[in-house]
Amino acid sequence: MTTMISAWSAISPFGLDAVAFAEGVQGGRRPADCAVPGFDTREVLGRKGTRTMDRVTALAVATAKPLVEGLGDETALVLGTNVSSVKSSMDFARDTLTEEKPFYVDAGRFPNAVLNCAAAQCAIWHTLKGPNATVSGGRATGLLALNYARRLHRSGRATGAVLCGATEELTEERSWLELKDASSPLSEGCAMFLLERDGPGQAEVLAVEFGVCSDLTQAGGVLRRCVDRAFASSDAEPESLWLIVGSGGEGEDLDGIPAKRLCVTDLVGDTFAASSAFGIATVLALAEAERRDGTALVTAVDRDGVVGCALLRLTGEGTR
Amino acid sequence: MGAGDRAGVMTRRVAVTGLGVVSPIGIGVAAFTGGLRSGRSGAAPARSFDTTGFEHDIACEVPDFEEPAGVGRTSALAVAAARMAVEHAGAPDLRERRGLVAIGSTMGESRDIDTLVAQELADGPAGLDPAVVRRINAGRLSVSIAHELGLTDVEAVTIPTACAAGNYAIGYGYDVVRAGEAGFALCGGADALCRKTFAGFYRLGAMAPERCQPFDRGRRGMLTGEGAGVMLLEDLDSARERGAPILAEVLGYGLNCDAAHPVAPDAGSVARCMRLALKNAAVKPEEVGFISAHGTATKANDIAEARAVKEVFGEESPPRTVSMKSMLGHTLGAASALAAIGCVVALTEGFIPPTINHVETDPECGLDCVPNHAVPADLRVVQNNALAFGGNNAILLLGRYEAEAVAT
Repeated sequence: MTTMISAWSAISPFGLDAVAFAEGVQGGRRPADCAVPGFDTREVLGRKGTRTMDRVTALAVATAKPLVEGLGDETALVLGTNVSSVKSSMDFARDTLTEEKPFYVDAGRFPNAVLNCAAAQCAIWHTLKGPNATVSGGRATGLLALNYARRLHRSGRATGAVLCGATEELTEERSWLELKDASSPLSEGCAMFLLERDGPGQAEVLAVEFGVCSDLTQAGGVLRRCVDRAFASSDAEPESLWLIVGSGGEGEDLDGIPAKRLCVTDLVGDTFAASSAFGIATVLALAEAERRDGTALVTAVDRDGVVGCALLRLTGEGTR
Repeated sequence: MGAGDRAGVMTRRVAVTGLGVVSPIGIGVAAFTGGLRSGRSGAAPARSFDTTGFEHDIACEVPDFEEPAGVGRTSALAVAAARMAVEHAGAPDLRERRGLVAIGSTMGESRDIDTLVAQELADGPAGLDPAVVRRINAGRLSVSIAHELGLTDVEAVTIPTACAAGNYAIGYGYDVVRAGEAGFALCGGADALCRKTFAGFYRLGAMAPERCQPFDRGRRGMLTGEGAGVMLLEDLDSARERGAPILAEVLGYGLNCDAAHPVAPDAGSVARCMRLALKNAAVKPEEVGFISAHGTATKANDIAEARAVKEVFGEESPPRTVSMKSMLGHTLGAASALAAIGCVVALTEGFIPPTINHVETDPECGLDCVPNHAVPADLRVVQNNALAFGGNNAILLLGRYEAEAVAT
């Protein structure tokens, strides 16, 4: 059994669709403003059902939209997030302290303070009745989601398509909570992939490997072991490696491995939980432009110690 | 249900070898077992936040658990439960083996968020304590366990699929061990009680003023709770080889999504999830000894869940269906992990935990909820339900370990 990526979608600082993302990545210049331009929830999704919808959720619902057409009701979804919308959680908590009574909160917004909000709303908006999971692991979130999705196919829990991706929002609250030594501007967006068992597709997911480093000085060594294992567990030759896209974490250099290098934070800014999903999208966007065969690596090192990589084999096909 | 070949893939049997519990009715498996057997209530006036202005203040906190300085409470609960699970399993050296750490949660480090909001209100964004800021990421619930136990060859993933997250995490551990991708999985769920959670459920009208009475005619809703439950899963052969205590087997599980309403469960969809779980576990409905219900004691949940049980198991004699939330409160991301641990305890100790605070069964539910007193029972298979916000359903089946069945 193989897991194929047959389509992808992205809402990013480059714009509202995959085409804008692909053009932006090919241009190689990070936008000056890393908020998604023109993303107003009500304009993009309409007024109905969006009164209480927060930005991290709206980005996910809108990113899924072009991928869900024609899919069956049993479609599964695996969505990565960090803490969903920290703005939603803080707003809700603030109301308990500032309103006349501590329970004068907007009950309709309570689900926004719950971490599966975006995945649940995607399911409700797009009628996705298959397994619906939310995963979290800092910069490695997109890779953890990819592995969860791959396993849904392998275990037979998903018989049809699996949507997989990660979402992050840019709000004032998030900027308060980021480390002050951040080297890239904070950014936002969502990238999603349609995974299918076997069949044609633009890329095959050959391996997804993880480790944990006890401190970040160990990250490079742990990542190297993940990469070695990814090649060893698949039949891909290390010489086939064309591109490595990093997440902007520490120790992702992988010195000595000959391949083109990109860092997702240089391209779109710091999308934190969405970083490695945007890493995968970068591979697909560039492969589509250049119709490459060979393999590509997406790597992630999170500041809390989660280390991982995904090895993709490019088929040279375009997306459907 | 032995090691088998499905779709050309060798699969392993998955053993539960260790249990770690931090709960409102006891810390550690022995205390938790005693609580379940005697029908202990974890309800008491909330102490972890100022309850002034609320008309009632009863919640199910873990009274004797202090998080270490500098650690978020949810992570601390998860780490404590994981450490206990490993000790309970005979303290194997997990550093030698490839593993998965998967912890579920509903709210993550929610108490820290409340703390940060209070700091921001007092002193503006500049007043936020960087040490608290540093620890709010949801991924830390899992990776903190890896750090604590010195594990590096692990995939550490947090699965914050709300109030079904414990079953999600245990199910994920099952899939990974079963497929041979890891030799062990530390999996479960954790949440810490905080003011915003209390206020949210209060405002939804989902909360009882004093006590949680699942399936009762007079039920008024849930009580919010906190805690952590973590299981150690290992592949059965390795567990036997090292002489591990084999407490139970994970037989399978089902996942689906209502895709309908953010907070109201859909009985038909829940029934569909039960069927998926039974099929995955190769269990017939009549083999299920009892059901550990999601059982929040809200009007809507209990009726929908009872309807789903009857749709799958028949109107005539559905299995006894109990709600451990009557004792534990709703511990959110920990809820289905603690209930799954309760199911393992039931299998090993031979009793069905009670649904306490029971006065009169709601005829609209019409289930035997084992009112108020545990009953002895010879159990082979038990089912653990979890229904989350967003219609995320996860239903787990656990079985008694039959030593003779594995003789080769």
